[in-house]
Amino acid sequence: MRDIFFSISMILLTLVIYFVVTWLYKKYPLPILLPILSGTVLMIIILVSLGISYEKYMIGGQVITSLLGPTVVALAYPLYKQRDFLKKYLFTIIGGAFIATLTAMLSVGLLGKALRIDSGFIISLLPKSLTTPVAIEVAKVLEGNASMAVVGVTITGIFGVIISPYIFKYVRIHTSIGRGIALGGTSHAMGTAKAAEYDELAFSISSITMSICAIIGSIIGPLMVWVLQM
Amino acid sequence: MMKVLLVILQVCILYIFSFVGISIQHFFSLTIPGNIIGMLLLFVCLCFNIVPVKMIESGAQFLLSILMLFFIPATVGVMDYPELLSVHGLLLIIAILVSTMITMAVSGKTTQYFAKKTQKREADQACETSSSQSL
Repeated sequence: MRDIFFSISMILLTLVIYFVVTWLYKKYPLPILLPILSGTVLMIIILVSLGISYEKYMIGGQVITSLLGPTVVALAYPLYKQRDFLKKYLFTIIGGAFIATLTAMLSVGLLGKALRIDSGFIISLLPKSLTTPVAIEVAKVLEGNASMAVVGVTITGIFGVIISPYIFKYVRIHTSIGRGIALGGTSHAMGTAKAAEYDELAFSISSITMSICAIIGSIIGPLMVWVLQM
Repeated sequence: MMKVLLVILQVCILYIFSFVGISIQHFFSLTIPGNIIGMLLLFVCLCFNIVPVKMIESGAQFLLSILMLFFIPATVGVMDYPELLSVHGLLLIIAILVSTMITMAVSGKTTQYFAKKTQKREADQACETSSSQSL
């Protein structure tokens, strides 16, 4: 009974924090106030000050996380709405998703090796540009660490969203297709949420890129471990 | 009130697709995650009008509008990695940040370049057709 009460209060706490930080971001759209960043920091501060461990918090937290499943499925909806466009640019999008996934895995693998990072950690970082539930499963297949994969995915997602306006400006990426591929292919669902701030086209491209990257990533992931000899 | 019930019902339909996708993944022991299979399945069902878009529209729109909420519990997991604040963690974060910038710049720029090239070729072809028609 106390467990139920506790998990409900954790869910409510997460909801309240989410609505507060979203409202704040709508009022002041600064990168530092991005809901995922400010929400996470605020949540950690509250949990640490109340002396609640992550494991305990997740008794309630997993209820929210379980909605990730149908949400990934729901991505079929924007995909369907943009199907004519997707048919037209099918090869560009598949090509873009392939380049994004390959670049993401190769660059982090080579950088990790150059910086002499533990190969177990590097393997967990390989799927960092894939959407969270997919990255967890890919990390498991590659015998990496699932939690570490989530950390990599999260940092990539948050940083990608923050840095994207500057990258787009200095590398001159100004088409919806370029932005959608870059955001969805690099920063998965968080990038897709950011792409929605540009236009619906960028959002749709980003979400299909993310989905295709998930498929490509789960196929070339094991290949990358072999190529990088880890 | 009707609207709320509709959204809940439609989210349940999405759950079914998620469940079917995960079952398919386990049955064939695929490396492609179940939810992605569920998504592709729903996409095919929508395209062939097996599932009318009206049946999932409100639920899908609702879930996608609060996408960020579902990541908060997962990202809070960072608190279990205090070693990210050590030198080793710093190197790890540097690798992630640099790789993120490279990926974003390379994928965005390359795709934009090829998309423009394709568009230009199509425009040229359209031009040729129209000029030959005028002759």
